[in-house]
Amino acid sequence: MMRCVSIAVLLLGAPAFGQTSPAKPSAAAKHWVAPRTPEGAPDLQGTWTNATITPFERPGTLSGETVLSPSEAATLEEQAAEARIDRPPAPGDTGSYNQLWFDRGTKVVGTRRSSLVIDPPDGRVPALTASAQKRQQDAATYARQHPADGPEDRSLAERCILWGTAGPPMVPGPYNNNYQIVQGPGYVVILVEMIHDARMIPTDGRPHLPKSIHQWMGDPRGHWEGDTLVVETTNFTDKTRFRGSDENLRIVERFRRVDANTIDYQFTMDDPTAFTRPWSASIPMTRSDGPLFEYACSEGNYAMTDILSGARAEEQRTQ
Amino acid sequence: MRTKLALAAAGAALLFAAVPSWAHHAFAAEFDAKKPVKLEGTVTKMEWINPHAWIHIDVKNADGSTTSWMVEGGTPNTLLRRGFTKDSLQAGTVVIVDGYQAKDGSNRANGRDITFADGRKLFLGNATGSEGAPDAGGDKK
Repeated sequence: MMRCVSIAVLLLGAPAFGQTSPAKPSAAAKHWVAPRTPEGAPDLQGTWTNATITPFERPGTLSGETVLSPSEAATLEEQAAEARIDRPPAPGDTGSYNQLWFDRGTKVVGTRRSSLVIDPPDGRVPALTASAQKRQQDAATYARQHPADGPEDRSLAERCILWGTAGPPMVPGPYNNNYQIVQGPGYVVILVEMIHDARMIPTDGRPHLPKSIHQWMGDPRGHWEGDTLVVETTNFTDKTRFRGSDENLRIVERFRRVDANTIDYQFTMDDPTAFTRPWSASIPMTRSDGPLFEYACSEGNYAMTDILSGARAEEQRTQ
Repeated sequence: MRTKLALAAAGAALLFAAVPSWAHHAFAAEFDAKKPVKLEGTVTKMEWINPHAWIHIDVKNADGSTTSWMVEGGTPNTLLRRGFTKDSLQAGTVVIVDGYQAKDGSNRANGRDITFADGRKLFLGNATGSEGAPDAGGDKK
């Protein structure tokens, strides 16, 4: 299934850097071969960004439409540009800060797919299992009753432990959607700007950690299938959540450099206790000038202390 | 053929999908939507840090006294890649802050909208006229 989708992405037109419409696949594009590292592996190294305005899930209004037309893509890009104009927030909403602090990307993905989710065919994340839904509801109930007793009641991102989009899977967020890939003998390392996490991916065939060991970003193992780096990650904690995933998540990511400026990145989420079926997404990584800057989250996390003191002040007011 | 309406709705969905729900949640937990503030003050210090930059300003009150405020911005990493630096906002610059006060009643606010005194956007219409800093609209990618 993955292989068919990879070929389909290539044939639809190697996502051309900086273009809104996919270039017709030239003979050169179809036969482009990635340069090699000194160890002979395809070279994925460099600074990359996955920022895009393509929505993660296909909106209901576009149901049945897998690929946007060039004019539809252009319209969405115009709307995204409109959204970058500062406007007052709705009443009752504090807003955050000016638009220039954000960097969500400006273009749809080069293939003009209408969503990043490519499987199921409706472009939407499958339903959670009944037990995962109950877990979510219980967590939401608890959060309403205990919004900020202590830092443990706040999100992993607010606690500067793990960003929601860092993954795996690695997906775009509101800013700093940057990654740096470095390769050496027996390892591929992906430095994720948010929150300066380094994914150390051994490619020497060693087995996964024992099942009793759990890690926030799981335990990755990589190997090459032709020109594609395949990374399987397991051993997640029971606090790691991506769209409702749990500690039983097994995610397979595939990285294939399709031209000088593009890595075709796809992943499949397999988590039978959380999702009613596996699902997959495809998000191109585009070469970026970078550089990455250190996101030293804990150095000035005034927001955490403010949130806690704000909650204490509200309790005083209601007493 | 998609109607313009369907695309408009899709576009609207894009806007809300782009920002994770916890990002808004954090600001709603930190600042009070019932306490809007509009501050005109002089920059005294810029904390160019993550997860959020903070701009310190001195606000002259009606009675002549001065109150120091801290104003929360976004991640400086984005601005660095656009060519702005910590020195792009010099001490002594007058800024106007439209935001909401911290829930705990302290003199902190979010910089929902920060402009220079003449209405130009912060950093973009840089008061020091620093060269080399591109417009935010000029995405390199």
